[in-house]
Amino acid sequence: MKKDRLYLLLSLGLLGGYAYIAYSFCNPEAHVTACFFKSVTGIPCPACGNTRSVLAFLRGDLYPALLINPLGVVMAMLMALLPVWIVYDTVAKKETLYYFYHKAEKTIALKPVAIIFALLIVINWIWIIKKGL
Amino acid sequence: MDTQKVDMFLMANAKNFKPQHITYIRERLHQMDDSKWNMIHTLDFKEPSTTLLISIFAGGLGIDRFYIGDTGLGIAKLLTCGGAYIWAIVDWFIISDAAREKNMEKLQQFL
Repeated sequence: MKKDRLYLLLSLGLLGGYAYIAYSFCNPEAHVTACFFKSVTGIPCPACGNTRSVLAFLRGDLYPALLINPLGVVMAMLMALLPVWIVYDTVAKKETLYYFYHKAEKTIALKPVAIIFALLIVINWIWIIKKGL
Repeated sequence: MDTQKVDMFLMANAKNFKPQHITYIRERLHQMDDSKWNMIHTLDFKEPSTTLLISIFAGGLGIDRFYIGDTGLGIAKLLTCGGAYIWAIVDWFIISDAAREKNMEKLQQFL
């Protein structure tokens, strides 16, 4: 993927993510289940609880955020880190994020890493289902 | 390379590439030497129709993106539950082309 396209996609995604979090933050009562998977099958998906987790993280409750869904904490950190990184790359005319993205892709594509990663996601998913999110 | 071999390859793989690339592939294959023929045969092309099926059934979990080798996008799709399923639906329409694009990239290293 070309650098500009990646940065554009990331920026759009981040904007969408921020808008969604801001909306959820300002309207705590409006509990909308954004997950189609859950509406259709009744089972929570591996990303279930991400919004609640990020909101808890924003309030400063790190431990509850981890308990709801560890992936939410990962998302929160990504959402905080990526805009800074993109701006840095744009201003300094470098490609550090693009380079890192490709290295990360290659690393995760390696068999042992991919298997460990998939196992972690599955274990997290089972935990989510047991929690009854 | 042999016209016959080139035609054989194209017949078997026409669906795996975008139509506008086929002419270019044909030309380059003709000019290519035979030693690369074996290497091209070992390439693993992902069929757009299979990819589409995967996208329809498991697209919400990003499995379709993982299948065509887009690991980064696959993870992003997984973490956001198919982008609140919006991305999952968008991908139903663009995943076949994405698969063809990836196949072209794989072939490009030899062309």
